[in-house]
This record gives sequence, structure tokens and C-alpha cells, in this order.
Amino acid sequence: SPENQFLGISPEDEKYYKSSEVIKCKDGSKKFSRAQLNDDFCDCPDGTDEPGTSACPGGKFYCRNVGHTPLLVFSSRVNDGICDCCDGSDEYDGKVKCPNTCWEAGKVARDKLKKKIATYQEGVAVRKQEVEQAKVAMAKDEAELSKLQNEEKILKKLVEQLKERKEQIEKAEEKERLQKEKEEQERKEAEEKANLEKTKVEEEVEHDRNEVVENSDGEHKPTESTYEDKIGILEDSHSYQDTAENHDDLAAKDDHIDTPEHKGSLVEGVEQHAVKQKEESVAISETDSDSGSKVPPDEGKDASEKTESLSREELGRLVASRWTGEDASREGGDVDNAKDNDHEDHVEAPKDTHGGEYDGYASESDDDNQQYDDEDVEADDDFGEVDHGDSDSSYKYESDTDSDLSDVTTSTSWLEKIQKTVLNLLQAVNVFQTPVNRSEAASVRKEYDESSAKLSKIHSRISSLTQKLKHDFGPNKEFYSFYDRCFESKQNKYVYKVCPYKQASQVEGHSTTRLGSWEKFEDSYQVMVFANGDKCWNGPDRSLKVRLKCGLKNEVADVDEPSRCEYVALLSTPALCLEEKLQELQHKFELLNKEQPQGHDEL
Amino acid sequence: WKKDEFRNCNQTPFCKRARARKPSSSSLIAQDVAIFDGELTAKLFPEKTQENPDEQDQDRIKPLVLSLSVYQDGILRLKIDEDPKLDPPKKRFEVPDVILPEFSNKKLWLQKLSTETIGGDAGPSSIVYLLDGYEAVLRHDPFEVYVREKGGNRVISLNSHGLLDFEQLRVKRDGEEWEERFKGHTDRRPHGPQSISFDVSFYEADHVYGIPERATSFALKPTRGPGIEDSEPYRLFNLDVFEYLHESPFGLYGSIPLMISHGKSRGTSGFFWLNAAEMQIDVLGSGWDAESGISLPSSQSRIDTLWMSEAGIVDAFFFVGPGPKDVVRQYTSVTGTPAMPQLFALAYHQCRWNYRDEEDVEQVDSKFDEHDIPYDVLWLDIEHTDGKRYLTWDRMLFPHPEEMQRKLAAKGRHMVTIVDPHIKRDDSYFLHKEATEKRYYVRDATGKDYDGWCWSGSSSYLDVLRPEVRSWWAEKFSLENYVGSTPSLYIWNDMNEPSVFNGPEVTMPRDALHQEDAEHRELHNAYGYYFHMATADGLVKRGDGRDRPFVLSRAVFAGSQRYGAVWTGDNTAEWDHLRVSVPMILTLGLTGISFSGADVGGFFGNPEPELLVRWYQLGAYYPFFRAHAHHDTKRREPWLFGDRNTERIREAIHIRYMLLPYFYTLFREANTSGVPVVRPLWMEFPSEEATFSNDEAFMIGSSLLVQGIYTEHARHASVYLPGKESWYEVKTGVAYKGGRTHKLDVNEESVPAFQRAGTIIPRKDRFRRSSTQMVNDPYTLVIALNSSQAAEGELYVDDGRSFEFQQGAYIHRRFVFSDGKLTSLNLAPPSPGQAQFSSECVIERIILQGLTTGQKSALIEPENQKAEIEKGPLLLHSRRGPTVITIRKPNVRIVDDWVIKLL
Repeated sequence: SPENQFLGISPEDEKYYKSSEVIKCKDGSKKFSRAQLNDDFCDCPDGTDEPGTSACPGGKFYCRNVGHTPLLVFSSRVNDGICDCCDGSDEYDGKVKCPNTCWEAGKVARDKLKKKIATYQEGVAVRKQEVEQAKVAMAKDEAELSKLQNEEKILKKLVEQLKERKEQIEKAEEKERLQKEKEEQERKEAEEKANLEKTKVEEEVEHDRNEVVENSDGEHKPTESTYEDKIGILEDSHSYQDTAENHDDLAAKDDHIDTPEHKGSLVEGVEQHAVKQKEESVAISETDSDSGSKVPPDEGKDASEKTESLSREELGRLVASRWTGEDASREGGDVDNAKDNDHEDHVEAPKDTHGGEYDGYASESDDDNQQYDDEDVEADDDFGEVDHGDSDSSYKYESDTDSDLSDVTTSTSWLEKIQKTVLNLLQAVNVFQTPVNRSEAASVRKEYDESSAKLSKIHSRISSLTQKLKHDFGPNKEFYSFYDRCFESKQNKYVYKVCPYKQASQVEGHSTTRLGSWEKFEDSYQVMVFANGDKCWNGPDRSLKVRLKCGLKNEVADVDEPSRCEYVALLSTPALCLEEKLQELQHKFELLNKEQPQGHDEL
Repeated sequence: WKKDEFRNCNQTPFCKRARARKPSSSSLIAQDVAIFDGELTAKLFPEKTQENPDEQDQDRIKPLVLSLSVYQDGILRLKIDEDPKLDPPKKRFEVPDVILPEFSNKKLWLQKLSTETIGGDAGPSSIVYLLDGYEAVLRHDPFEVYVREKGGNRVISLNSHGLLDFEQLRVKRDGEEWEERFKGHTDRRPHGPQSISFDVSFYEADHVYGIPERATSFALKPTRGPGIEDSEPYRLFNLDVFEYLHESPFGLYGSIPLMISHGKSRGTSGFFWLNAAEMQIDVLGSGWDAESGISLPSSQSRIDTLWMSEAGIVDAFFFVGPGPKDVVRQYTSVTGTPAMPQLFALAYHQCRWNYRDEEDVEQVDSKFDEHDIPYDVLWLDIEHTDGKRYLTWDRMLFPHPEEMQRKLAAKGRHMVTIVDPHIKRDDSYFLHKEATEKRYYVRDATGKDYDGWCWSGSSSYLDVLRPEVRSWWAEKFSLENYVGSTPSLYIWNDMNEPSVFNGPEVTMPRDALHQEDAEHRELHNAYGYYFHMATADGLVKRGDGRDRPFVLSRAVFAGSQRYGAVWTGDNTAEWDHLRVSVPMILTLGLTGISFSGADVGGFFGNPEPELLVRWYQLGAYYPFFRAHAHHDTKRREPWLFGDRNTERIREAIHIRYMLLPYFYTLFREANTSGVPVVRPLWMEFPSEEATFSNDEAFMIGSSLLVQGIYTEHARHASVYLPGKESWYEVKTGVAYKGGRTHKLDVNEESVPAFQRAGTIIPRKDRFRRSSTQMVNDPYTLVIALNSSQAAEGELYVDDGRSFEFQQGAYIHRRFVFSDGKLTSLNLAPPSPGQAQFSSECVIERIILQGLTTGQKSALIEPENQKAEIEKGPLLLHSRRGPTVITIRKPNVRIVDDWVIKLL
């Protein structure tokens, strides 16, 4: 047993042990005599009687570590031949000699702590500033939203009025047209009577015209059958079990599929293409998985018989892929390398346009999209100024294509202007005037088109602002600026992109793997969770957890994959530089410094 | 499980043929019976040879040669082969290096045989002595061999149903087709049919057991017979089976052709056929032979079995028992007892496919310390290598392997790396270069180096049948040759069935060639065994014969126990797989492989936390205790499932560390006697029928009974506790009466475990980072007194690592409690001049359960010191646990003789 009967006891606890001759086990289970304290026999299952020995597995040993920080180590470390306390007090049975390293270790620790405090001090200030800016930005967004909602209401009414007027005009025009037709008909009938002799010729002409119509029908059919053939090819390719389709082929096929669906609307086609492609790559991944095992669940028998036709190498890769989940069709290269990269090949297409957050974007597929795109400005210029200076690894979220609407939001006059114009129009245009004034009708139409376009822009801006403001930006909105930013970290061949509130991805060359979509903060805003990323074959959907720590710059580092397809990363950010934590660190530093001279003397 | 990928009996011509044969179809008659060279010899003639001497030469069945030899301790050996004097086209394969060389010293030199005409036989039978009370009988016509008790009762017999068929090697007839095709693979079968089949009967057997490896019940169910659903025979063919089922007669990674029968009245007997070709075995349900007209002694109940093998010879061993431990001792006297492992190997192993890099290793290692969970070994799977070139490192991930190992070693921990038998065909790879130059690879049927596909892609396989290849391979493990290795590094042999991804049934073609002209079909089941042997020898050489090797192998054959541990391969994280791990480990133990375990947590899939915790609680009692997981699974280190579960797993691991002295003692017992560490209940209670088919509970040694929990949310468990004495629940100290089934309340904190009254278990209740730091820690003796207030137990201790114990450097004590005093007796024989082992370890605590008297102190002799007796905790690590009568701080040394008297 230790020479010092009170070994392993913390100063705060000494009173507990010294106050009487009979001491209670802290769990109240029994009592023990002073002689039984640290006598290397466990009397209290909670270890009360053996703070200085290894006799009680549940106990803790207190090292004073003068010159450094006191430490509680598990009783299992006492006299186990390994130096755990820097003062060496945990090893006293003479089997091993532990030098006192507290002074050196303490200095290192103090220096480290000092640096950390410095970071925090600066960080707290930066954070304060950011919190202020966030408040302003948020207030601005909120103001904009409420303004837009107001404008929306007014504009909606105007559009309705214009629409009503437009329809009235159209009705009048229709009436005019019918009237005209009637007159024409009457005129024709008169003429026909006069030209009865020319009937024969007329009939022939009619006949030709029918033929032309038939031909055009006939032309339509082959188009459809071509499309079906393409589908056929694609389906076949699902059951082909050899190679992953390359992306370009896929895209080409997508076009064929999409063509009949979007009926020539280029814009919509592009939109759908993007969505479609996502679905397609999922489908292809699954196909690949099947090709991995070569036994699609529903046709196990067929496929396993097919193995007979494989080359010996193909068969080897195929069987290996059961365990590894890698793409069995991969040619050349080390099989082991393939293990890591599995099927990132076919997830090239950016899938940003997919998912609920982008509904607004998807709904923008109006006919006047071309014009709309012209107006499109990089989102939220004003935020650019907020995060100046520390954007080494961060940048704005590029694929966020929310339209700025700065033209509509910055000036208040536009709405008045429209209101005025509309009012003028409505008053000016006399619906009951026949014939309809052509130029006035055109004005109404134009004004209607423009106003409804504006309305839809406002809609989408409202929806994106609402989306944004729904998020949890932390107790002090300190994460508000994260919404429109991405952080990047390059590690070996990969670039990791973390876009808070949106998504995270791993980019290798032209191929992008989604690590997850924004899910939430965890662990009281110390962790950002991205979930439901691209699926891993035979594994979970990819996910990423980003741990946040105080730092002066927003920087992502240490991306790691401790479990297959479950990634972790570290993000330093001033947002985590909390005042309370700083005080805690300062307090700790003071304590360390207090012990310091005394410790030195003891040495 | 890809059923279509593997052959069933009907797709396996020799199996189909053998299964279709009717009883009495064998026409062999023993002639020229004589004693020669201390053995009984005879020739087996087919009846018709004599009747039709003019039959075409090529079709004539030539006489076979037979020998019966007898070995000490009740072992009868029967060999049947073709007569080398008659110029067979090729010598049939005999499995080398499995039978212990010293076994031949145990041969009894037969002097005489007696002749007897039994029952209504027309001809005579020859009888030789086997063991006191036992005789071996060779019945001449019809040919039959059996073992009987002196009084006439049969024990085991061969060919009693006349199913023996011995396909002789011959020249191919015109137009005959010998090739066999399966799933696009062609087996050339250049030597044609050469299979052997015969029936074996076990008398007065209630059940038969053994013939691993497969996932099924411990007591083997009949595969054929009236009222039995048609089943495949039990297959013995080492295969890498992807996602194997938890209930199937299908063979897995290992093959041990040893069957053990057990019955209440007669006891235990065993039959072992040393043959490494594919084997299929039917257990025939009672009444299967009703139509045959064959009459065997009807007073004796019987289990009949049909044994079929594709090639080789008959080299069969009959073990008379009569106790379960006798049979195991007899069998291991032929194939060897389990090697004595290092102490650390019995502790907890942490594995995963894969700990990716040095940082990962450091992280995991430090997390164990942070959570105060002990572990001894960290494992690296295939990804640590440079492109699956074994014995190399991926220097990107593991730039400093020696330093990494030294850091672990500083905490008394070890590392294991994987080394598989497929060698990457890469001309710049030193192993491939050398093996190619030396022509050390297995060749394909055309004579070229066989090229198969495995982790490393295009690969070749060492011809480890050849001793010179094994010895070359062993050299590769020296610290100089295995760059980046240190003395604390040990080895894991995986994929050694061998697994060949593009081979027939995911293994090597049967017509591949070994040595001179041995075909792979003849030795397939022993391939992994030879590789395991060579690797283990390599570690022995590395340590200059002073460091016991540790090599884990997946493939198994008879004798593997001499080389290291095995595990049950790629199981799945399901409750049924947890359950079947017990019969699998029991079966391995019964057939000599004491050191085995299943992947804790299940290799494939993600276990629910409850299943994982239950697996740790059960796995802590496996002889080999390792957690492992597939690389697609979520991380599942013990601290990842919340504080409560971390605590439960920690406690399960603590129990293992606490029991290490007991386990180590049992491993020594296995090392000397072959008796397994983990045993079926009937091995300890051979006459209790209620235990015969129990494979949910098992014994650790003779003192501890463990009942696993195999269902989710279990609140109750039924446990049968055998014998007349009581049992003390390990955690609660509650006593339960023996000889009945108890319905127990269970909770999630532990699985039920009981100490049998009348036993003493040595423990070390302090735990450390690893077993290494426990060496000097004091012991606790847990005494459970029986109804006569008596108990006994043993403790074996040595240096835990070297071979010096073989020279007598060990402590072996027997503790006996009776008449109110505990005595420590020396079991180690005096070994003057030999190596010595000593220890300063003392016994700090003696727990007395079931003591009916109320003494307050004890006197320690010869020092005449007093120790107090008081209430103390039963388990130190469990808070609020029960208190029990404890002798406080007797502090007697384990090396000394002493007596502690209760006053």
C-alpha cells in the first residue's frame, strides 16, 4: 500500500477522509476504518476506500500534477507499469520509474491554452460583429419579405384586373372575328353560286390537301417508334451486366426520353433533364449494384446461369464484389483501389436542382424564362460585404439561383408605375368599342404578360425567402451568413464542399458525390448534420457530420470517413467563439498560473 | 448464400452414386488374414472375382489390402487401399503431416489373433485385443469390422450394411467420359472415378455430433430415413460461403471428418476418417434399412451413417471412449492437442475491415483507454497492404508500422495483420517473383502455374503441401523479411479454403496439381491446414522458438488445433447467427479445435445495440473473443451506443478479463488432454439425457455454465441446470437447485452464468488496459461449496508467452476445500534442473458461497497468521451487487503450499 495514506485523494476530498476514524463508503454501502484506507483491498465497491491503489476497479486516482493540471485517472492505471500522471504519482511500487514531466508539459499546455485564449478573444469580437450583421441582414430579409408580400397582394389584384380586361378584349375580338367570318361566309356563298362551273377543279385541290394531311400524320409515327426503340435500348442496358454506362451516353438517352414529355419546350426540357438525370443515375447505380452481384433479386437464376459465359477475370471480379460492393465490371487497375471509389463514376451530374428546396426554381419554368434569365443576378449582393476578408475556403452558394429582384425591390416606384399604367389602360380601353382598338389591346396584353411575370418572380422570391427564414440560425442568428455560403477543403484527390442549410458533396474532377442534404444542427449547435446523400452499395446513404469549433476564419478541415460512407469534418468558425467559453478558458489559465510558481518551488 | 453456385449431392456424381446404393451391395470377403508386423493384415476379394476369373482384365476388381492396427488407450485403426503390388495406375493419396509423429509410438504390437464363428455366420471372424474390456473384430464374410465390449456388445462397426464401395483406379475405357462440368467449369478428372463409401454404425447412441464445419444444431439431425424430410447429406468441403445461412447441412470453411456418438447407457465413441477429399455424410434415421433384410444385434439401439469421399484411401480410427473426455483424448492423441496460446490471445480482440490508417488505429486505441475498456489486440484487415500484396504495407496509410506497433506494445497490446494464401501475380512483388522462380505454386491441369482471382486480382497459390514450400514461407515472417513487423505482431490467415473468386464453387479446380502429381481434389480440405501450419511455424522461427505463435485461420482440418485459433467466418448480425455460434463452437471443441469463436456483433450487417450487447455478453465466454465487422457496416466500437450500452459491453469484457486465470488454466487442460475449454453439458454430465441436445447453454470447463440470450427483449430464460448439486448465479450469488429447469428473470445487464457447487474458480478481479498489466495482480478464489461443504479447483500459471512451460516452468495448483479448511496442493511434478517459473502473486480474497457455518476468522498455516472473515462484494466491478462471505486479505502466495483453516 502507498506510503502516503492519503494518496490519490483530491484536496477537496481530504476533509472527507480525515474527519473521523471510521469512514463511510460514498455510496453508503458500508463503513471502513482509517486503517483500511488505501490498504490495497477493496472494501467499498465504489472505490471510496482505495483512492490510491488499484484494488477497486470502480475508483479514481487523483494526481496533483503540480506545475500542470491535476488529473483523475482510473484506478486500473495505478501501478500498471505505465506512467499516466505527469508527476509520476500513479506508479509507486518501484517496478517502473516515472520522471516528473509536469513542468515541461504544463508549460506546453499553458502556451497552448494561451494561444487558444487569444483566438477566442479575437473570435468573440468577430462573432459579435457577425451577429450584428446577421441581425441586420435578417431584418432586411424580413422587411423585404413583408414588402414583397404586400406588393404581391397589390400586383395580384392588378394582374387579375388585367386578365379580366384581357379576356374581355379577347371576347370582343372573338365576337368580331365571328362576325367577320359570317360576313366572309356570306360573301363566299355568293361567289360560289357564281362559280359553279369550276367545281371539278376545286375538288381536285381538296383531294391533294387531304393527302398532305395524311402524310404529315404518317411522319409523326416513325418519330414515336424511334423513341420506343430508344427506351428498348435503355431497358436492355439495365439487364446488361457488364459495364457502367458512361455519363454522356446516359445524357443522350435522357434526351430521347425527355423529348416527347416536354414537347419542345427547351427550358422545361432542361429542367426536367436535370431532375430526370438524378433519377436516372439512381437507377443506374442500382443497376450497377445488380451487376455487382450479377444476381438481380428477381432474376437470380438467370443471372447465375449467365456467369458461365463470363471470362475468368470477370467472374473473379464479380464474386469479389459481393464482399466489397465494388463495381465488378471495372477493368484494369488494382482491385483494391476500386474498393474505395466504388461507383462515383455515374454520379457526375450535379443534382443541385433536385429536392424540395429548389421547388421555387423548378416552378420558374415559364415561357418567358429566357427573358427572366437575363434579369438573373447572382444572389444577394449585399451579403458579399458581410463575409469579406475570410472567404479563403468559403464562397457563395453558386447554384442558389434565387433571382435578386433588385430592380423590383430597390425602387418603390415600379409598382406605382404599373398601377398607374394599368389604371390608365383600364380607363382608356373601351371594351365595348367595336372594332377593338388594336394598339390598346396589345398594350393590355403586354402589360398583363409583364405583370404576371413580375408576379411570378415575386412569388418565387417570397418562397425562397420564406424557405430561408424558416431555418434555425442559432440562438443569436450567428449562422445567418452560412445560408448563402459554401466551404471547401481539398484533401488528396477530393474537394469537399460544405454548403450549410443546403448540401455537402465530394468532388473528384468532374464527378460529384452528394454526401448529404442539410438536416439540422446537433449537440447544441456544435455539429452540422447532412444526411441522405448518395447511396452506398450495400451500405448506408452517405452522410456527413461537421463538427464546429472556434476559429478566426471559416475553414473546413480534416474530412474523414471513419465508417464507410459516414463522413466527418471539422469547421472552424468565429460563430463558435463564445464569450462563456472564453471566460472558462481564462479561469483555467488563471488556475494554472496560480499553481505554477509553487510547483516550480517543489521541483 | 448462393445456392446455385454450389453442388448438391445430385450434382456430385460420386455422392449420387453412393447414395443410390442399396444395403448388401458390397460383395467383399476378407481373405489371407494374418498377423504381420504387429498388425492384422488381410486382403479383400470381391466374390465375383473368384466366380468369374475370366472376366476382362480392365474390368476386374483387384483385391484390396487391409490392415487393422491397435494403439494405446483404445484406438483401432483400419486402412484399406489398393495393393501396390498389383500396379495400380497411380498411388492413391494419403494425407501427410496430420497424424502426430509420436502417435506411432503408441502402437500395440499385436502378437496373435483368435478366430471365432459368431452367431449364424458361415465363416469365421478374427478377433484381436484392443483395450481391457474391448476387442476388435474382423468378420470375413461378409466383410465387416467392429469394436465390441468383451461381453459381446458392439460399440462401432463398419460395413455392417454392406455399403462399402471402393472405386479402383483404372484405365479409361473406349468412349468413356470422365470429365465433369459444373457452372461453366470443367474438371478433367484424368484419373476417373476413385471414390470410397461405406456405412458406419454407432451402438447405443442417442445422438451423433461432430463433422464440422456448418451452421446447424449441435446434435446432428438425420438426413435420410422414414419420416425425415429429404435433406442434403452433411458436406465436408472447405468453401468460402458468402452470407451463409444459420441453419444448413452445407459445409463451410472447415472439415473435420470426426463423428462422436453419445448415449445414456453406453457412453461415448468416435469415428475419424483421415481423408482430405470432398466428403459427404448421411445420418440415417431409424428404420432406413427396414427393407434390407439385414439384422444387427437388435438389443442395441443404433445410429447408422453413410460416409462418402471422392478420393483417397480408407484410413479410419475407432475410438472406444467410453466417456466423452476419453474420446476427445483418444482423438487428440492421433491428431494432436490444442497448442497452448499466449495469455494475451485469450483476452479481447478488436477487429474491423478495416482500421484504415495509423491515425484510425491511434484513435480506436485511445478510445478504449478513455472508456476504461481493456483490450489486447488490434487487427488490420486486407486494406493495410500495398495492393493486397501480403507482408507489405500501404505506405500512404501506414507510413510507420513499427512505430505504430511499438506504441501499442507500450500499453502491453499486440497487433495482428492479415496474410492470405493468394499471391498477387505481379513481377515486381518479391513473393511472386521468388515463388515463380522456385516453382512453388500449385499448377493447373496443364502444368502451368495456376492463376486464380482473389483480393489481389490475378493470383497464384503456394503449394503448401510441399514441406520445402512451407519452410520457405515460414522464413518470410522473420523480422527482417517481413518489413514493418515487430515482435508484437501476429498473423491472421483468411481465405485459405482456398477461396478463389473465379474458381468452381469459389475455390480451386479439383484437377489442379500439387507436389508431383497429387490432385487438388485429394487434399482440398487440408490446403488451409498446411498454410496455417506454415504460417504458425514462421512465427515460431521468428521468435527463435521462444515465442508461442498466434495465427487465426478460417479454413480448418483435423489437426488445426496444433497451429492456432479458428473462427466461424463471415456470419451475420442476426439473432439466429448469435444462437448458432454456440453449437458451431461446441462442435469445433468436440473435434479438437478448442480455440474458436464467432465474430462478435456479426460480420455482415448492422446489429441493433441490444443484439450487439448480447453478443458481447455471450462472446466474452467464447474461447476466442473477437469483435469484427464488414467494411460496409457502421462503426460499432463498444462506446458508440450510448452510456448504458457502453457500460454493459465494458462489464462483459471485464468478466472475460476477470476469468482469464480460469480460462488460461482450461487452455492448459486442453493442451494436455484435448478436452475443450467450452464443452457441451453432457461432457460434464454424460448420463443426463436432458442435456444431450442442449446447444443453447454450455460449460466453461467443469465449473461454469453459461446460458446465452438469443431473442430480442427477453425478460425470461429457461435454463436447465444439470446434476444433483446447486448452482450459484455468478452475478447475483443466488443458489439454484440442480437437476431441473429454472425459469429465470433476465435483464439486459448480463446473460445468466452459474458456478457449480463443489468447484473453485480462480479470478483476477482487478482489470487493466490489457492482460499484460494484470500479471502481478492478486487473485480472488471463488469457492462454491457443495452439499458436503466441499469444493475443488485448479490454477495453472506460466510466463504466458514462451515455450518454457514445456520444460516444467509453470505453477499448477489444486485448491481443495473440505472439513472447514482450504488447502493448496502442488500439481506440477518436481523438475530438478529444468526451467522454473515463479510468481509473487498472492490471493487477496477468498469468497465462500454456500458456507453453512459462521466463522469470523481464519488461520493461515504454516505462517500462523490470522485473516478476517466478513461480508464483501461478490463482484468488484458491479455496483450495488450482493455481498458474500469473504476471507479478507489472506495474501498467501500462489506458488506456496498452505492451508487456511476457518476458525
